[in-house]
Amino acid sequence: MSTEHERTLAAVHQVAAERSNGSLLCATQPHSDTLHFVVDRSAMRAVTGGLVDHLGARFLISVGTDRRPLSGDFGVLHIFSLDRDHLYVLVESPIPADDLRIDSITPVVPGAAWAEREFQDAVGVRAEGHPDPRRLLLPDDWPEGLYPLRRDFPYNFRPPADDAARPKLAGAPAGASVFPMGPFFPVLEEPSYWRLFVEGERIVGCDTRLFYNHRGIEKLGDSVLTYSAIPHLAERICGICGFIHSTCYCQAVEKAAGIEAPRRARYIRTIMLELERIHSHLLWLGIAGHILGFETVLMQTWRIREPVMWLCEAICGNRKTYGMNTVGGLRRDLPDSVRPELLRVLAEVEKEVVAVREAVAGDSALHARTQGVGTLSEETARSICVVGPPARASGVAIDARIDHPYAAYDEIRPRIVTEEAGDVWARVVVRLGELAESIRLVGEGLSSIPDGPVCAEIKDEIPPGKIGVSVVEAPRGEAIHFVLTGGDNRPYRWRVRAPTYPNLQALPAAIRDGNIADTPITLGSLDPCFSCTERVETIDRRTKAVRVFSRAELLKMCRARAKGGG
Amino acid sequence: MLVSKVREALICLKAGRVTLGYPFAPNDPKPGFRGKVTVDPDLCFGCGGCANVCEAGVIVVSDREQHYRLLEFFWGRCTYCARCEEVCPEGAIRLSGQFETATDDARDLCMRLEVFMGPCQRCGRCFPPPTPLDKMMTTGFRHGLEGGRA
Ligand code: SF4
Ligand code: SF4
Repeated sequence: MSTEHERTLAAVHQVAAERSNGSLLCATQPHSDTLHFVVDRSAMRAVTGGLVDHLGARFLISVGTDRRPLSGDFGVLHIFSLDRDHLYVLVESPIPADDLRIDSITPVVPGAAWAEREFQDAVGVRAEGHPDPRRLLLPDDWPEGLYPLRRDFPYNFRPPADDAARPKLAGAPAGASVFPMGPFFPVLEEPSYWRLFVEGERIVGCDTRLFYNHRGIEKLGDSVLTYSAIPHLAERICGICGFIHSTCYCQAVEKAAGIEAPRRARYIRTIMLELERIHSHLLWLGIAGHILGFETVLMQTWRIREPVMWLCEAICGNRKTYGMNTVGGLRRDLPDSVRPELLRVLAEVEKEVVAVREAVAGDSALHARTQGVGTLSEETARSICVVGPPARASGVAIDARIDHPYAAYDEIRPRIVTEEAGDVWARVVVRLGELAESIRLVGEGLSSIPDGPVCAEIKDEIPPGKIGVSVVEAPRGEAIHFVLTGGDNRPYRWRVRAPTYPNLQALPAAIRDGNIADTPITLGSLDPCFSCTERVETIDRRTKAVRVFSRAELLKMCRARAKGGG
Repeated sequence: MLVSKVREALICLKAGRVTLGYPFAPNDPKPGFRGKVTVDPDLCFGCGGCANVCEAGVIVVSDREQHYRLLEFFWGRCTYCARCEEVCPEGAIRLSGQFETATDDARDLCMRLEVFMGPCQRCGRCFPPPTPLDKMMTTGFRHGLEGGRA
């Protein structure tokens, strides 16, 4: 271990010790790249602020855990990353069960805003001094005082629905009018509700209500499934970057349990991850064209993308949800027979992507819609902890493949693509650059892939109480999985953060002072992946009579149809 | 501007027509595709291995009487992970090439299989004779050597 690394470790320890002012309860190093501090909750804000101010730590996510069955209390854990030093810093505070509150760190770490609202909703630990403590995760009709991620909350419990419940909305600034966008908006595939505050055409602020697609996946993982079943669920967190989530989960468990995946498995993971990035970026390019009304781009990029999907099917039996990952490695090998096809298809894709890039690069209509639109300054991007292509397009050179090398990225080094402008066009340029880079990485991986087994043999039980943090650079930014192992063949706590989570928090800053018409493409340029309806209107064309169906009626009709078989 | 429009037009022209004829022309998946699960009732001997590993919990085993074990498959929630196929000692359960599984009757995605078993003299519960473990190692025990694959 280099002396520089030791100096960083010493610096982190020093900040933690000084800022906690004597209330540092425990400092451990669960892995060579992970430091874990336990501080009294009164010192949490000071310690995290110190990490950000003195060491430039980047906030990743918070984890709220109900530890009553273990130690009788709750825990709040904030995860930071020191990107240059390849280090995760975990700062945790125990919260007594009869006094559930902790100082909010959002005033010193703005990127923690949603993460804190989330543990407030999920386990009921209040973040004191949070600037916007409204509900984030739970539905509007969820009863007060019910916390789904507590251990005594059954995973299949459904509180009664209340059709009259409405979200708490923020008031518009004086003089501004409200322009609602969503929850269903024609160009976006998933529900999100944005209220834009506008003065004329100019946007002066906005309010959001999201999480309509919340599915309670973490709860399922730590109450019903087993270690080896979760990769298949993790894969379904996202319809595009499924392999990323299953890899990230498996790596976190492997780290917690001290299992080393074989080299060949790590190479194949890398190849699959890059294939996923290739098809995801092509998909995104198409969607961006579609949002701008430029359907040719949609048609052509998706045509180029299709052979990549067929390749995935040839490798694993399905175009999505590969079902390959398992704790300790992979369930299936990369068949040698697909190699020539893989290289041929990727060469073809590369040629076509170059053609598309040259065509759109000079298209002044596209420039008019994307240059100077949705600009995110480097400073804002840093403070909100934006990740992935939006961060790199604003000049923040972070990439989990380089900052926290996993799989085979320690041997196959990607080149990072950055831009300075921070607008939508810069995000297009970054993604196009990454596409070419990914194609190169797959080729490199294929040529240097070692022989050997693809799955480590796991002889012992996975020990309880161990921590594993893993990040994977998804096409949209880094995904983070945190695992605290439990005793009954499943994690005690499994925490997932998808890359859209921090990126969406940057949207208010990106659309401010822009036009309403530019909002969809700005939102689209973050490549959001959100993962409710009140009623549907039908109009009888002959009589012009309007009939409004309530949610309950619709549900009844659907169920009757499903049962009756027609 | 004009140049880039010409380039864009060229890309489209070069691509030509790429739409597949499906559903009017068949479009069979390649070998190795993980489609709807099928069970060969002649091969299954009711060991329950598939139910044990199915993480979606769509395979339910229940011992109904001393001599018969009921296997129920509810494929509506199948994740197509192919773990059942991996563990089945007889090759009875397979992921087929069927992908047109949409139906308006949920019963189309269920299957019941009654397997006759030997009951244990002591506890009375079913087991595939002589012991479950031995059977996992034996080739095609129900139909002699020609029946199974193992
Ligand atoms: S494919 Fe997977 S989910 Fe489907 S029945 Fe088999 S084990 Fe269960
Ligand atoms: S694993 Fe095979 S033999 Fe055993 S119960 Fe399942 S289908 Fe039958």
